[in-house]
Amino acid sequence: MTTIETPAAFQKPIIEARKVNKHFGAFHALKDVSATFHEGQVTAIVGPSGSGKSTFLRTLNRLEAHDSGEIVVDGIELNSDLKNLDAIRREVGMVFQSFNLFSHLTILRNVTLAPMRVRKMGRADAESKALNLLERVGLRNQADKYPVQLSGGQQQRVAIARALAMDPKVLLFDEPTSALDPEMVNEVLSVMRELAYSGITMLVVTHEMGFAREVADRIIFFDEGIMLEDATPEAFFSNPDHDRAKAFLSQVRHGY
Amino acid sequence: MNWTKQNPGLAMFAAMIGLLVFLWGLAVPLSAAPAPIGPAAGQFVEGTRVTVWLTLIAGSAGVMIGIVAGLGKLSRFWPLRWVCDTYVWLMRGTPLLLQILFVWLVAPTIMPEGIDLSDFACAAIALSLNVGAYNTECVRAGIMAVPNGQIEAAHALGLTSMQTFLDVILPQSMRVALPALANNLASLVKDSSLAYAISVVELTMVGYRVQSESYQPVPVFITIAAIYLILTTAFTTLTAALEARLNVGQKR
Repeated sequence: MTTIETPAAFQKPIIEARKVNKHFGAFHALKDVSATFHEGQVTAIVGPSGSGKSTFLRTLNRLEAHDSGEIVVDGIELNSDLKNLDAIRREVGMVFQSFNLFSHLTILRNVTLAPMRVRKMGRADAESKALNLLERVGLRNQADKYPVQLSGGQQQRVAIARALAMDPKVLLFDEPTSALDPEMVNEVLSVMRELAYSGITMLVVTHEMGFAREVADRIIFFDEGIMLEDATPEAFFSNPDHDRAKAFLSQVRHGY
Repeated sequence: MNWTKQNPGLAMFAAMIGLLVFLWGLAVPLSAAPAPIGPAAGQFVEGTRVTVWLTLIAGSAGVMIGIVAGLGKLSRFWPLRWVCDTYVWLMRGTPLLLQILFVWLVAPTIMPEGIDLSDFACAAIALSLNVGAYNTECVRAGIMAVPNGQIEAAHALGLTSMQTFLDVILPQSMRVALPALANNLASLVKDSSLAYAISVVELTMVGYRVQSESYQPVPVFITIAAIYLILTTAFTTLTAALEARLNVGQKR
């Protein structure tokens, strides 16, 4: 496995996974996955469907509980202790493939809900913060609409604003553009690009190889539940170590 | 009904005011009616009030019971699930009349000394338990209809299980459950008539009394049917407006 040099800016580890395993019944979804993610780092996680990349991401905020191994987020161990879990979920934001905006709430209420409930922020403060974030993703004028009235790309940008409203230390993206019509992919990617350059720690499960190559500091390649490659974009895209990665790249090469 | 959907707030207000005005002003047209209705107007009004109270009390308690038992049926804790399953099985599997009689006969023997349950209270308890069982299934269906992604999103944002339930699951499940709950409420208005069996003087009981005194059943029962119809119309307008209000952000 190619180890990447950690630039000085990325010294502080924010997520540490050690020998993480996960089974779904007889299916071994994650096999001894170990990785350390540093503050400010943008990591793209790629691989074929069913390779465990989304499962790995979802274990990091315990939407899937891992069977064995150890996950430490911001110094707190992720286990069945609800106190730890609540503390970690406050610091880790997530953006889903299918957006998952709260369908019964307006766009504004979608963004203010968690800061008001979890951070106990006042309504006025939460709303002004939410409007600023909606401005940042270019949707301030949609604040009073309901999710169903927005396009997929707009909904995903709201979902990003909603995650940012909690001031997370890490943002997890689970195939954020896979459910979008092609013409809406770019509006979401450009918001993510802007975020990446702003210095927030990001883990992005994606099939957008062009985006991964351009924006990520690090590429992780999953195959059959194993973390097969962990490399810089240059190394991964020009000369991957494993044949599986070479085959995968030749399959998706038209994408970048 | 279209007007109700476009102005839910106004419709709810109108239905509530309408119900109050109806209860308060019912005596006026009734006392102007010819015998056998006119002379018994006071009894009809009193009976209508009892029916409305029974419906409101059992209806509200039934929704609470439905939410609690509906959640219980979805619990991971099997004894709780078993208790809720048994409750629904018993209440749906036996006649309401029997349940009302049962509460009336058994409640006084198990109540602590000094607490005297009125006939009205017994009827209200039996009706609440009965409609609660039917509501349980509606609430359960509503909760199961909430997409898992909504719950995952709430958890990922750091909301506790309680916050997730109150802010996301409950409002979304009510959108699905409300039409069925409204159905149960409309049934309840009429089912409350079975309270006559334990001598609660509600609308149907009044009808029996007046017709047996006057030997003119047809006009008496037509009057009663009209009052029930007006009551169910007010209640269904109320629930239809509530439905329209909760129905925001839905695909059509």
